[in-house]
Amino acid sequence: MSLAHESIATLRRRLAAKEIHSRDLVRDLLQQIDAREKTIHAYTHLDREAALAAAEKSDPSLPLGGIPIAIKDNLNVLGDPCTCASKILEGYKAPYDATAIARLRQAGAVFLGRTNMDEFAMGSSTENSALGITRNPWDSTRIPGGSSGGSAAAVGGRIALAALGSDTGGSIRQPAALCGCVGLKPTYGRISRYGLVAFASSLDQIGPLTRTVEDSALLLSALAGHDPRDNTTDLRKPESFLAKPDGSVKGLRVGIPKEYFIPGMDTETEAAVRQSAEWFKKNGATLVDVSLPHTPSAIAVYYILATAEASANLARFDGVRYGRRATDPRDVLDLYHRTRSEGFGPEVKRRIILGTFVLSAGYTDAYYRQAQKVRGLIRQDFENAFASCDLLLTPTSPEPAFKLGDRTQDPLKMYLADVFTISVNLAGNPAVSLPCGFTKSNLPIGLQLIGPRFGEEKILQAGHSYEQAHDWHQRLPPA
Amino acid sequence: MSAPQINVSDVASLARLTLTPEETAKFSSQIGQILSHMDSLKQIETGNVPEVTPPAHPNLRQDEPTPSLSLQAALSNAPAQANDLIVVPKIVE
Repeated sequence: MSLAHESIATLRRRLAAKEIHSRDLVRDLLQQIDAREKTIHAYTHLDREAALAAAEKSDPSLPLGGIPIAIKDNLNVLGDPCTCASKILEGYKAPYDATAIARLRQAGAVFLGRTNMDEFAMGSSTENSALGITRNPWDSTRIPGGSSGGSAAAVGGRIALAALGSDTGGSIRQPAALCGCVGLKPTYGRISRYGLVAFASSLDQIGPLTRTVEDSALLLSALAGHDPRDNTTDLRKPESFLAKPDGSVKGLRVGIPKEYFIPGMDTETEAAVRQSAEWFKKNGATLVDVSLPHTPSAIAVYYILATAEASANLARFDGVRYGRRATDPRDVLDLYHRTRSEGFGPEVKRRIILGTFVLSAGYTDAYYRQAQKVRGLIRQDFENAFASCDLLLTPTSPEPAFKLGDRTQDPLKMYLADVFTISVNLAGNPAVSLPCGFTKSNLPIGLQLIGPRFGEEKILQAGHSYEQAHDWHQRLPPA
Repeated sequence: MSAPQINVSDVASLARLTLTPEETAKFSSQIGQILSHMDSLKQIETGNVPEVTPPAHPNLRQDEPTPSLSLQAALSNAPAQANDLIVVPKIVE
């Protein structure tokens, strides 16, 4: 078996024992990439020589010493491009490391390459990339999910051991579910966003995509913790996140929110998720019926707040300090207009316009401020639910991966793909998606476990117990 | 209640975007649809509900100068520069 198929937990033991060297690992992965990348197109940038050189110098005694990790193309890695899959960042080279990158570097990780995404993380299918689409490793006629579709396709397609993604409305969990890997969105404030290109700052979180829950906990330990450069980061010390690797789910109160099992959802997805709930019950957990009554409003709230924040955050791309600049501008306004109109793709323009509109005079109360209030109600829903349970169990996505091109002409329909992930960002809670089955046509199905704020240990522990009893995560995509 | 008529070109211009006629037509209809969906929020009773605002006590650092990007690094991506400054079109006539 190729080293590229093993978990990070196993590989770091083998690296530390000097059974293998990081260079073998990188070479194996590059070989897998050569075989599959032409079909999947998960990467936007690969620096083979740099990865091999870093592997050569790696220190296996460090927590992630010599472990290659792929990075979503919206995180600054010193000296690398950081395109955000946009033409507007053509030619940009990061002059610094994001804090998440610096922490991985400190833990000994090797950076393998940059992964594809929807432009500025705006999308649910990775079809909004200016650098070409990414295909689902389980069925190349289908989308990998998004916006961290490159990261999910790389990990699910076994051409990366792990990857970083970012999640504003489901952008780690939904593609993880659709590509058969584990995707964690930590609590808002758990990981510093310094050096992550901002989309919607009150929602954005960085998180890992991995093969196993244990690997997710390993990466989270390296990434978590306060950073003076992101004052939303929490002051508490990072934990191990998987203190009892063989813990049982006995006595766990698992909430089943009725709003997450809706008419029209895919029947195989619903069956697989309900069966997972039964597994928890059979193993000593109690299933509790709960309600999150404001769930149906989440999409509307999200697309008001996220676009409003994006319209402000993306104002910085004006052709002055970095990235693309329109040629021979008449004056400075012409420079702004032409740079932005030539540089941004259609979904980004659509969202900037929407965000500008909901913040414009006369409409702020009706849209933006009303959405902030409903966001408060959504948060309250979660607090109420967690009074009677330890975690919530839901599907990650209402359906498995859809066909490429199916939704590109209907943005509203595309937005509805995030219906089960978006509320978690609005409330700020942590959630993990892990494989819980396959459809008859061999497409992965994802299970979402949502925890109370800073309750990552609870969901990772429960997810790990579930994973130990199943082998979904060991299935390989077709060659 | 129906969604407001939005003049997509005007709003785009506020955001320093110039749209082609095709984009204007397409975005007008798509954004109209999205706003209709968003209008469902108006039905929700939020009389006494406070707006979500950023945390009152973020973990602020001391306001002390610390080393930052070098001038050279900060200018390394500028599309045009001279004398350690970024060059832009003339603003004042």
